[in-house]
Amino acid sequence: MSAPVLVRNLAKAFYDEGRGEIKAVDSISFECHEGEIFGLLGANGAGKTTTLRMLSTILAPTSGTATIMGHDVVHDPEGVRKNLGFYSATTALYPRLTTRETIEFFARINQYPSKRVPERVEYLIHRFGLEKYADARIEKLSSGMKQKVSVARTVAHDPAILIFDEPTVGLDVLNALDVQETIGELRAEGKTIIFSTHIMSEAERLCDRIAIIHGGQILATDTLAGLREITGQHYLEDIFVLFVKAGQETV
Amino acid sequence: MVLNWNDVGILYQRELRSALRDRTIVTNSVLLPIFLYPLLIWIVYSAVTFVSGQNEGLKSRIMLKDVPEAHVRLKQGFEKDRSIVLGSSLDPRDDIRQGLLDALVEFLPPKSNLGIDDNFSVRMTFDESRDSSDRARSRIAEKITNYREDFLERRAVQSGISREQFQNFWIDDQNLSSNQQISAFTIMLPIFFIIMLAVGAMHPAIDSTAGERENSTWETIMTAATSRTSILVAKYLYVATMSFIAAFLNLFAMMVSMGTVLAPFFQTGRGNSSLRIPLESAPLVLVGAALLALFISAGMMILASFARNYKEGQSMVGPFYIALVLPILFLQTPDFAFTPRLALIPVANVVMMIREAVQGVYHWRSIGVTLAVECVSIIVAVRIAVLIIQHEDFAIGTYNGSFGKFAKEWLLGK
Repeated sequence: MSAPVLVRNLAKAFYDEGRGEIKAVDSISFECHEGEIFGLLGANGAGKTTTLRMLSTILAPTSGTATIMGHDVVHDPEGVRKNLGFYSATTALYPRLTTRETIEFFARINQYPSKRVPERVEYLIHRFGLEKYADARIEKLSSGMKQKVSVARTVAHDPAILIFDEPTVGLDVLNALDVQETIGELRAEGKTIIFSTHIMSEAERLCDRIAIIHGGQILATDTLAGLREITGQHYLEDIFVLFVKAGQETV
Repeated sequence: MVLNWNDVGILYQRELRSALRDRTIVTNSVLLPIFLYPLLIWIVYSAVTFVSGQNEGLKSRIMLKDVPEAHVRLKQGFEKDRSIVLGSSLDPRDDIRQGLLDALVEFLPPKSNLGIDDNFSVRMTFDESRDSSDRARSRIAEKITNYREDFLERRAVQSGISREQFQNFWIDDQNLSSNQQISAFTIMLPIFFIIMLAVGAMHPAIDSTAGERENSTWETIMTAATSRTSILVAKYLYVATMSFIAAFLNLFAMMVSMGTVLAPFFQTGRGNSSLRIPLESAPLVLVGAALLALFISAGMMILASFARNYKEGQSMVGPFYIALVLPILFLQTPDFAFTPRLALIPVANVVMMIREAVQGVYHWRSIGVTLAVECVSIIVAVRIAVLIIQHEDFAIGTYNGSFGKFAKEWLLGK
């Protein structure tokens, strides 16, 4: 059986009036194994978000292929989205819906069996400790609570693959830890997770395997232990810098 | 892209639920149509009536010159009239030009010599560019005409001719138009329809496109497991619904709530005008309203969807709103005919169709052309919107709110 997430020579180029063609993602390949957290570690502008947007079918690749649970991102985008939960700083919630309505809406629109939706909604409200806020409008919730509802809506249709694109950006320490804990729990439930971040400690703590991405290219992919062994460095920050510098010299 | 009606239903329900909790949308699509616009019309008409009443009370300054002694009764009639002040002037023409006098009435020898005693002719001098002078002319003309009829009738009786013999022939009015036709309400109805449909569609169109981008919910919905066509159709139906509701509520409010208040202002003096739409024309009016709602919603959504935030959306939709209303104002002359050629012009055709239907007039050929043209226009507009929404640069807002940039880069392939 093929990997739940399979990416082969995926590339994305944009055209800019001033700068001409820009290769945001330059022929990257990786695969994610079932039940692991796969980290995309890179600085701002490295190509993380573009890669994840291609995987979530918001953007179409310029070349290459990617499949999610066997569904091609170009030829079967709806099949991809049905098996995918996408969470990022740019995926906010509808402010005028309540928590319960939000989870119900995303479960239904993401094709969760309609008969089981009420049961799923109650489960998620309980699972994320949202009982007190179930009938409150999103606009009235604190940012921590909104974060929890966002995660709940991401998993509302119980997808096999979850993408978290820099989920802790803009959060305070406690809320960021809360999100990290939730992602860990989701892995324990058997979800395959792609986690992008530029925060080294997060990647160290959460990821089973890490891909270091820079300038649209993946410079290395391995477990943290594997990366330490290759580079002879202990800290992920040092490992990251080493790969980036080597990558720049190659260029 | 596959259209899934079940998904459209879910998305539509979500849009409507959010909208009905939004103060701006509820105010513009529900409250304003019911209360504000009928109230505004009432205020405007009250003001117009008040001003015209004031004008009626203004006195006309008139100079009579060389009144024949045999017609002293006419002079007395002028003196008794409270709306007229008789005066004198050394240079009456100059005084009229300068607004010091409203009109000069000169009694001259008769133009023809028919042997009638005390015959005369009258020359009125006035300045038509001034309302007060023009009003003075009307008052003088009415007074002299009445006096002449009375004078001639008395002369006829003195000569042994009866009134009937003297009158020779009669003028009798027979007005074939219904009350609906002569009602100012039926003339104004299409304008209200357009304004209400546009007002009703504007905020939902911006909210469901630029508003989503501003709230960062655009990408959230774009990653849902449904086709973008379904997303677009749901949004489109939601905007059209709000547009239709606004127009329907306004019409209802005008007919039911304000009818009794406004009725006196819409009367033409030839009979009672009506603020009701004839039942037989209701289906055509509803179809017309629905078509207009769909067309206006498509246009507004296409423009608003390029905006990055609500403010940009408003500035992009604003010109479209004006472009809709302005041509309709030119159609509001009662003599404008609903020809098949006019039926080829979107929006204007539906306006004419509704206007005639309300008057009980049905030009079926033009109506057929109208329905066909509107359906094609709507399909084209929706197709364009679907093409736009499926373009990935549009989905991530690359065009920075510029429709021109999108057209240049994508449609022209630059």
